[in-house]
Amino acid sequence: MKNSIKVERAKKNITQAELARLAKVSRQTINAMELGKYVPSTVLALRLASIFETEVSEIFVLEPSDWE
Amino acid sequence: MINNSYICLELKINIMKLSYLFPNRYKKIGLFILIPSIIVGLLVVIYELEPELLDLNVPAVFIDDIFGDKKLIGITNNNILNEIFGVLLIISLILVAFSKEKQEDELIAKIRLESLVWATYVNYAVLLVAMIFVFGLSFLWVMIFNMFTILLFFIIRFNWQVRNFNKSIGHEE
Repeated sequence: MKNSIKVERAKKNITQAELARLAKVSRQTINAMELGKYVPSTVLALRLASIFETEVSEIFVLEPSDWE
Repeated sequence: MINNSYICLELKINIMKLSYLFPNRYKKIGLFILIPSIIVGLLVVIYELEPELLDLNVPAVFIDDIFGDKKLIGITNNNILNEIFGVLLIISLILVAFSKEKQEDELIAKIRLESLVWATYVNYAVLLVAMIFVFGLSFLWVMIFNMFTILLFFIIRFNWQVRNFNKSIGHEE
């Protein structure tokens, strides 16, 4: 799964630490998601979409490997 | 009616947040008991300390003395030093292992679960090897250590993984 958290963050001009505080998770979690090391829960994905004022499907995109 | 469903929702959310973990401050309390318990506990085991002061008559569920009757519930004489350290070790290990992190979020929960599975595998792998290759009284020692190692392996693995994630935070641009 690909995500555009970093891009959305740049658009909003907020740091990982600020996003972490808004989403009520640790900075490590934000960092791990940006690096593709961690797939967030539905709740966290919805929180991020809400913070970025967009849709979950705009931030997270399925890849062919997700169907395997 | 509305009030009722609100209470239901509240209850549901609380159940969802139930994590079976202790508050963060218990980790420090656990460490405070654990470290001296390990050191003194090892000394007790190595030097086979059994101070007479702690030879007491204690209640027992099952008594099977070599030169006595078998009895189900009664009083027996026992040196309680090893029991004291056993209890202290288990309580402190549980507190250190299962206290919340400062920020207990879903990534930590995932690391926690993976570490617990890993620790269980490693613990039983060690026990399997010992079961096949260690015999008699030596195996009794393996079992004594094995009572505590699953929690110890978990604590080491979990904290190691959390540290790795903390280190992997790059410098932000």
